[in-house]
Amino acid sequence: MKIKKVFLLLSMAAGFAFADPIPAEALTQGGLQMRDRQLQDIGLVMRGGRGGYIDIGYTYTPSSEQLQLKSKYGVHDGFAFRHHYGIFGSWVLDSISHLGFLTWYERAGWDSQDFFFFPHYGDFAHISSVLTWGFSYTNTKLDATVALGLQHQNLEKAGWRAYPDESDSLLFYWGHARYKNVSFQGSFYRNTFQTLRFSLDLESRELYGGAKSGYKTYLPNLSATVYRRKDNDDDKNFVRLNWEQNLYKQTVYADVSYDFPKGGFHSATLKYFPDPSRLMGFEASCLRRNEIGGSRELLWGGAIDFFILRLAYNSAFDYDNMFRAKGTFIAEFHIDLGAFEGKFFGRGAAKAAPMETSNKTFDLNKFMKVRAEQQNLGNTKVDAQGNKVIEAKGIRYEKVDGSATQGGN
Amino acid sequence: MKYLRLFLCLVVLSLTACMSHVFIDTTTRLQVENKTDVTILGLDIISEDGTSVQPWIRDAIEPGEKSRVVEEDWVGTFKVRVRFDKWNGETKKLSYYCATFTYTTPPIRVYNTLAKQGEPTVFEKDVNGCGLEENVHMVYSETDLDFEGGSQYLIVSKDEDGNVAFKLK
Repeated sequence: MKIKKVFLLLSMAAGFAFADPIPAEALTQGGLQMRDRQLQDIGLVMRGGRGGYIDIGYTYTPSSEQLQLKSKYGVHDGFAFRHHYGIFGSWVLDSISHLGFLTWYERAGWDSQDFFFFPHYGDFAHISSVLTWGFSYTNTKLDATVALGLQHQNLEKAGWRAYPDESDSLLFYWGHARYKNVSFQGSFYRNTFQTLRFSLDLESRELYGGAKSGYKTYLPNLSATVYRRKDNDDDKNFVRLNWEQNLYKQTVYADVSYDFPKGGFHSATLKYFPDPSRLMGFEASCLRRNEIGGSRELLWGGAIDFFILRLAYNSAFDYDNMFRAKGTFIAEFHIDLGAFEGKFFGRGAAKAAPMETSNKTFDLNKFMKVRAEQQNLGNTKVDAQGNKVIEAKGIRYEKVDGSATQGGN
Repeated sequence: MKYLRLFLCLVVLSLTACMSHVFIDTTTRLQVENKTDVTILGLDIISEDGTSVQPWIRDAIEPGEKSRVVEEDWVGTFKVRVRFDKWNGETKKLSYYCATFTYTTPPIRVYNTLAKQGEPTVFEKDVNGCGLEENVHMVYSETDLDFEGGSQYLIVSKDEDGNVAFKLK
C-alpha cells in the first residue's frame, strides 16, 4: 500500500509541480558545493573515525519539465540529476589503532535525458563529478583521528552554447584532524585554501561513549567555515557559522546557519527524528535566497525521509545542493547507514538504532521440542544410596589410539 | 511474492529513469514553410539580451517553398528570429549608433524587445556601429516559441494587417 502512495505522490509531483528553472550559473558553480558537502560528510563520519559507513543516493525527478534549465536562450526541457556514493571502512591495527580508507563520489548536473550511468550529452548538458578519497588513522586511547587525501573535480561535459569555458579537471587536497570533540578541516588548491572549517561538537553522544541523557546532550554543535570566493579577481571570502542544537531528547534538532561578514541569515532547519539513530526523519526549513537585484525572499519547505526514500519540497538542503531547485518535489532514493561496534545508525546520529532481539514468530512444534529437551535436562534420578544419577543419552565413543591416528589414516 | 512486487517496481522505475528518451523527444526536427511574399534568409535562436545568436535554419527560403529539415537540441521555450530580405508592408524602424565614452567603457548595446500589441512585428534595424562589422541592415521578426521536441513545422505567413504570423505545428 505504501509504495502505491509513493507512486501517487511522484505522479502528482510530475503532473502539476512545475518548478522555477535552474539557472545555468548554478551548474557551473556547483563544484565548490559538491566538494564541500563531501568534506562535511567525511567530518561527520570522522567523529568516530572507525567502523564503517555507506551512503548511496540517486535523485529522481520523473518529468522533463520539472527541473528545466534556464540558459541565456530560454528555458530548456530536461533533467537535473545528482548521483552519489560515500564509503568508509576501517581495519583494526592493534587494540587502540584503526586505519581507514574512504571514497566519496558524486556526479551531478543537467542533461536533456535522464540516465543511470551513460548520459546523453546533449548540446546543453553540464555534467561534472567530484571524487574525494583518502586515508584515516584513529587512536582510541587518545580519542583522536587524522585523515587526509585528494579531491578530483572533473568536468565531463559542458555544452559550448550555454556555458563559459572551465578547466576540465582540478586537483585539490584535504586534511581533517580531530581531538575528542574538536576538529579542524581544510581543503586546498595548490597553495591556496578553498575551505577551512573549525568544529566544536560539544553534544554528548551515546554512540561514541558519551552520555545517554542529561544536560551534556543539550550542548550545541558549532562550526565555522571560511569559504574562499573570488569575484572579479578580488577575494571575497566569507564565513558561514553553523549551530546545531538538540532541543528534545536528541530527537528534535534546530540547525541554523549564518553568513559573515555580508549575507546574514542563510537558513534554519527544524528536524525531527522519531528515533535518535536518524534512520527516519522529518524536517521543515526556511532559507533566505538572494534574488537578482539584491532583493531577498524566504523560501519555506520541508522533507520526509523514510530510510530509503527522501521526498523534499523547497527544502534548504535541496536548494543548496540541487542547483537552487525550488517549487517542485524532489525524490531521492538513498541508503545511508553507519556501523560502529556492531551498532547501526544514520548520518550524524547520536545513538545507535535499537536492534531486533526477540523472535516474534511462534512455532508450536519447535516450542514443544525445546520444552521437552529442557525437561529432560533436569531429569535426574536419585539411587538407593542417595547419589544423583544422570542418564546420558547419545554417548559418543572415541577410540583413543595415538599410533592409529598418526599419518592421517 | 513480496519480493516479486518489489522487483517489478524496481524494473518500472529503472525503465522510466533511463528510458525516458523512448517517449520524450530531446531534439526538435524543424522545417519552415514560407507563406509570405518575400524571401526568408534564415531562422535563428537568439538570447534574451539579443547578444548571442545560434543559427538554426540557414537556407534561404523562397516564397511558397519549404526549408530542409534541421535537427537541433532546442526543446523548451526560446526566442526565435526570422530574417527576411525585405518586407512589403509596415515595419518598425530601429536605428542605432554605437557610442563609446571612454576607452574603458564597452560600447553600449541597445537591446531589442518584442513588439507590443498592435505594433508592426517586423523590425528593420540599421546599426551604424563602432567597427565595420557592426554596420548592419536587417529586416526580421521575433517571437517566443514553445518547441515540444520531435518533428515540428513552422509556417511563416503574412496576416491581414501586413504583419508576420507564426504557426507552429
